[in-house]
Amino acid sequence: MSVPTGSGHGLLGQEERLMACVHCGFCLPACPTYRVLGDEADSPRGRLHLMRAVSEGRLPASDPAFQTHIDRCLGCRACEPVCPSGVQYGVLLEHARETAREARGSGPATRGLLAVFGRRWSSRLAGGLGRLLRATRLPALLARVLPDVAGLHAIRTGMAMLAASAPGRSVRNASGGEPAGALDRPVPEAGPEGASDLASAAVAGPTTGDRVALLPGCVQAGLFGRVGEAVRRTLAVNGYQVVERPDPGCCGALHAHAGELSAARDAARRHIAALEATDADWVGVDAAGCGAAMKGYDALLEDDPEWRDRAAAFVSRVRDVTELLAAAGPRAGASLEMAVAYDPPCHLLHAQGVREAPLRVLDAVPGVRRVPVENAEGCCGGAGVYGLTHRELGGVIGRAKAKALSASGADAVATGNPGCMMQIRATLLLEGVDLEVVHPVELLDESYRRAGLYDERE
Amino acid sequence: MSRDMGDRRGPLEAPAPSIDGVGGSGGEVGRPNRATPTATGEGGLPVAVAARLVEALGREAVILEPGRLLTYESDALPRFRRLPLAVLLPRDTAETAAAVRILIEAGVPVTPRGAGTGLSGGAVAAEGGVVVGTSRMTRILSLDPLRRVARVQAGVVNADLGRAAAEHGLHYAPDPSSQSACTLGGNVGENAGGPHCLKYGVTTRYVSGLTVVGGRGEILELGGADRVEDLDLTGLFVGSEGRFGLATEIEVRLMPRPRAVRTLLAVFDGMEAAGSAVSMIIARGLLPAALEMMDRGSIEAVEASVFAAGYPTDAGAVLVVEFDGTEAGLDAEAELAEALCLDAGASLVRRARSESEREALWRGRKKAYGAFGRITPDLMVQDATVPRSTLPRVLREIVEIGERHGVRLANVFHAGDGNLHPKILFDRRVPEQVERMERASKAIMEVCVRAGGTITGEHGVGLDKRAYMPLVHGPRELEVMGAVQRAFDPAALWNPGKVLPDEPEDGPAEDRAPEPVRRGDLQVLEHSVEDLTVRVGGEVPLTRLEEALGAAGQWLPLDAPDIDGWTVADVVGRAPWGPLAPTFGRIRDLILGAVVDTPGRGPLRLGGRVMKNVAGFDLVRAVPGSRGRFGAIREVVFRLMPLPGAHAVLTTDLPFPLDGHAEAVELLRRLVTHPVQPASLVRELGPTGSRIRIRILGSPASVASECAELRGLLREASTWEGPAPGSGFWRRDPLGEALASEDPERPVLEIRGGGADVPEVDAGIADLGPIVVGAYHLPLWHVWRVQLGVPSDWADHPELSSLVDRIRSAGGDVGFHRAAPAAWGPDRRVAAEVAALEGRVVAAVAGREVDGARPDGTGAGR
Repeated sequence: MSVPTGSGHGLLGQEERLMACVHCGFCLPACPTYRVLGDEADSPRGRLHLMRAVSEGRLPASDPAFQTHIDRCLGCRACEPVCPSGVQYGVLLEHARETAREARGSGPATRGLLAVFGRRWSSRLAGGLGRLLRATRLPALLARVLPDVAGLHAIRTGMAMLAASAPGRSVRNASGGEPAGALDRPVPEAGPEGASDLASAAVAGPTTGDRVALLPGCVQAGLFGRVGEAVRRTLAVNGYQVVERPDPGCCGALHAHAGELSAARDAARRHIAALEATDADWVGVDAAGCGAAMKGYDALLEDDPEWRDRAAAFVSRVRDVTELLAAAGPRAGASLEMAVAYDPPCHLLHAQGVREAPLRVLDAVPGVRRVPVENAEGCCGGAGVYGLTHRELGGVIGRAKAKALSASGADAVATGNPGCMMQIRATLLLEGVDLEVVHPVELLDESYRRAGLYDERE
Repeated sequence: MSRDMGDRRGPLEAPAPSIDGVGGSGGEVGRPNRATPTATGEGGLPVAVAARLVEALGREAVILEPGRLLTYESDALPRFRRLPLAVLLPRDTAETAAAVRILIEAGVPVTPRGAGTGLSGGAVAAEGGVVVGTSRMTRILSLDPLRRVARVQAGVVNADLGRAAAEHGLHYAPDPSSQSACTLGGNVGENAGGPHCLKYGVTTRYVSGLTVVGGRGEILELGGADRVEDLDLTGLFVGSEGRFGLATEIEVRLMPRPRAVRTLLAVFDGMEAAGSAVSMIIARGLLPAALEMMDRGSIEAVEASVFAAGYPTDAGAVLVVEFDGTEAGLDAEAELAEALCLDAGASLVRRARSESEREALWRGRKKAYGAFGRITPDLMVQDATVPRSTLPRVLREIVEIGERHGVRLANVFHAGDGNLHPKILFDRRVPEQVERMERASKAIMEVCVRAGGTITGEHGVGLDKRAYMPLVHGPRELEVMGAVQRAFDPAALWNPGKVLPDEPEDGPAEDRAPEPVRRGDLQVLEHSVEDLTVRVGGEVPLTRLEEALGAAGQWLPLDAPDIDGWTVADVVGRAPWGPLAPTFGRIRDLILGAVVDTPGRGPLRLGGRVMKNVAGFDLVRAVPGSRGRFGAIREVVFRLMPLPGAHAVLTTDLPFPLDGHAEAVELLRRLVTHPVQPASLVRELGPTGSRIRIRILGSPASVASECAELRGLLREASTWEGPAPGSGFWRRDPLGEALASEDPERPVLEIRGGGADVPEVDAGIADLGPIVVGAYHLPLWHVWRVQLGVPSDWADHPELSSLVDRIRSAGGDVGFHRAAPAAWGPDRRVAAEVAALEGRVVAAVAGREVDGARPDGTGAGR
């Protein structure tokens, strides 16, 4: 393997990307931290200004302002779609984090997260332990009874997050369990004309019959295995073949967000090679954060001549699972009478630009009514371990989201990212609101189960 | 000019008061600050001052750390940079005033900052200065859909106010391209414009009142929808670029949202043909809501961005034309505009077929500035306004300038009001490119000024245009601007270094000597039909002016009932207003320029003759209603409107007073909130009853359709329809006859209802009995105007005193207008500090001290 250039250089070499910012300020109102704090240094434009100052040598990377404000960014990338200049903020943030880390090192929470989930064995172990602990119902209890004081904050939040990863009521029986009532109800078919239209319209898009390699994901596999199963079943119903392959491990998102770009590049190469070894047409991802990271492999490996083109080819094959399902229709299932608040994960909406596909998945479930949510496109405050590292600010942002969701009158919240699922449900738990949070595909899966689509196959 | 101000790096000094505040950069919010620099030294903010600021605002609202301050070194024009010594983020008026008092006492300059989206360097700190940001003042304090008035904190984002208003079917009209981010406070500071200002006017028209932290940190209440205002200090303040103080709360007027809209795109081979199309559209009497032009360079930039609007990339220029209003008749307007574009040589005309297509067309236009970030390292965006009729010539000359100076130029601008935004693409890392950019910039300014234009239409002067000020203002005018600034800010600590040039520089050294105006000259001096402007002598009778305009199919939509026999100078000096004001604005909104013969300074030219003009302080705004205190009004430039094609009046009778008539009160409420926006809605009051008269103006189709809608609301309505009579409608009306006072001693009472409801005010007026000659009520503004039949002080009439007391205790206001002597009646309700400010402003403009009573009998407002 060649030694990639640019690795370990952080912001050095990013001048062109930084120059794209014309300082217009259109990003300010889109930024959750700016909206709460009102400080230019906590806005995307301010952070870019700090990055540029560091890259120009006007500010040392060890300066507390650079360290604090780069760290305080949620990484939601809500600034990207509103930027007329097309500044690649997400890419720059990762480089800035690398520069910041090299100057000061990572915080304990970030280091812990990487230590656990950055490696396959420890990630599996943590997932297993987490599931065991979750099954005792102890986390839910602790989250409720522990007082909200600084010393206990990490435990309280952690327990709430763990409890929040438990399945929601509406979908609890998705894999097996009691059979649903109306098995004999007619199953509406997705029009084959519609599907073929889509296929011919987008030559490069997924079509029924395509082969999909799934990303197991670390957190996703550990605590949200049910989502992965739902994905497999719903993809199959919609005509996709799931390709079995060895697990290439963490996608590198956690490393990249922490500024560990070298490790992120290693992960990227692993994933690229793993896909190349299969005959899969697509990589299907059910965690928005992982999808966004994988769609950014081209930027991550842009300075690596050996991998650059392979990365670009890989990126063109990454799809969120809702994109795959939407391209196939998706087929409708049985009715689930419920009001659903869709919360678009930042890394799906802003980073990947995927807006409609999850809605089409929800709309494929008869009886599901989508209810509007105030500031629906704002960040939930999850952002990895933000709730632990930025207790107060993360709390303000998270509670605003919880309030908007509980005010929406929904029976369930649907969001396609494990971090968001846990953050939202945990915040709701801590606020004493019992509102379940599911992955959109889980609802489709439940709808298919009730329609008897799985029985037919068995 | 335009030299980089350089980095003020080096040790920036900041104390670290170990107060129990929370996080700066050193720590997470909510955790005590750690490791802040503690050095003090030359040039830094004195420790004691910083400590007092922290005490007043809390630690987390005072930014002292050099690294954090770096992000405040520039606004959206990053060529100008300077580190502030501190940034303060107060949460309300009281905190702002407390902080400002500390700074003023310490002699520290203060620069206000909104969202930092300004394009003239206006929010860059002064040397040794502190920035006061409004980003934490983001509350919409009130929004009254019935009165169409909202009160907001300065940091509210323009688009957020728009969204809040939309919930009530209303909108806030000024829409700068940065509206998704810019704040109302910044809009007030810069008198912001936007594409739709062609039809609706700029920020100043919509600002009805301000809470200002003034020159000494005092809190001033200027104007207000419930206040009778004397000198228009509100209008004077708007556009003062932070040099008169900081507006912390802003009261704005909202308008009903247009009910229908047509947006079309016309594609041309070149800018000149597009420019001709603009002239043809305006000359045909069409008044688009917006009329925007982009050239090939801008089209390419936009189409390469995420905001690609589907503009054809091989076009030489595109026009975006938008019409709004009532559904009926809009298609005809759009079709006429399309035909005119084709006549002018358009190769393609397309109409947006859906709201999403319309949004795409606008997105491309509004995000154009940022879109250049993709194709150039640096961008100089210019801003100048020229008379619309000179557009084709000026555009050609700008292209030549680009070629001559070897710079890449792109153009995207508000063609409808002649507001150009030439953009020069350059790379600041190449000094030679910077020089060429600066030379081309200056050449463009000179071309625009020579064409009768001005150096900035909406971006402001700030640091960027200071050196160009002598191009448009003579030394005397600059001197007056300086004097007015000192009237507001005696300590000269508000945003110093902005707007006014330091010392007279090269350029025309002599005054823009007003062309001699002959006494007794009764001619309309210059009616520029294509530009929709007229320059007229002050002694010309208004009727004479109206006849001349009417003959050319235009009018001045000013129709106060009581101005019969007045000259232009009378009308402007006394600034009467009538039923058309809620829709078309008052005289202050119709005046572009004036020449005033001041006692101390001689003839003074204020304003200009272009639609948008923010080159310096907006002194012309204070001329209407100045009642001779600045001196005789020699000449006025008005903006005009095309005469509407049709006219209708609906009338219906109601009781008077309205107390005890709930049904009638409800009818009024429904009329006020009705989506049909008539040209005027007035209720004339008589001794035994009142009569509502709704006047509808527009195209024949829209008038017919709106009449039909409103008739459904009125039980018994009589309608009169016919060709639009233009001006003088109310004066030919019995109401006008009653109100047209032959006796200059007889005052008009203006009642601003405040929290008092309609029946309550009605009852008070009825109680006045026979001293009332005539009266009318403008429900849209909750205002009554009452003509009294006796020269009077209200002390003589217990009923009058009691009415005044009642209205004022309900938060409203009552004032006397007296024709001669041109003065206010007693007891005008105004804070001593505001009255003193009025006096200082009058002295500054007139060029001499005002010592209470004036020889000509006019007062200083107390």
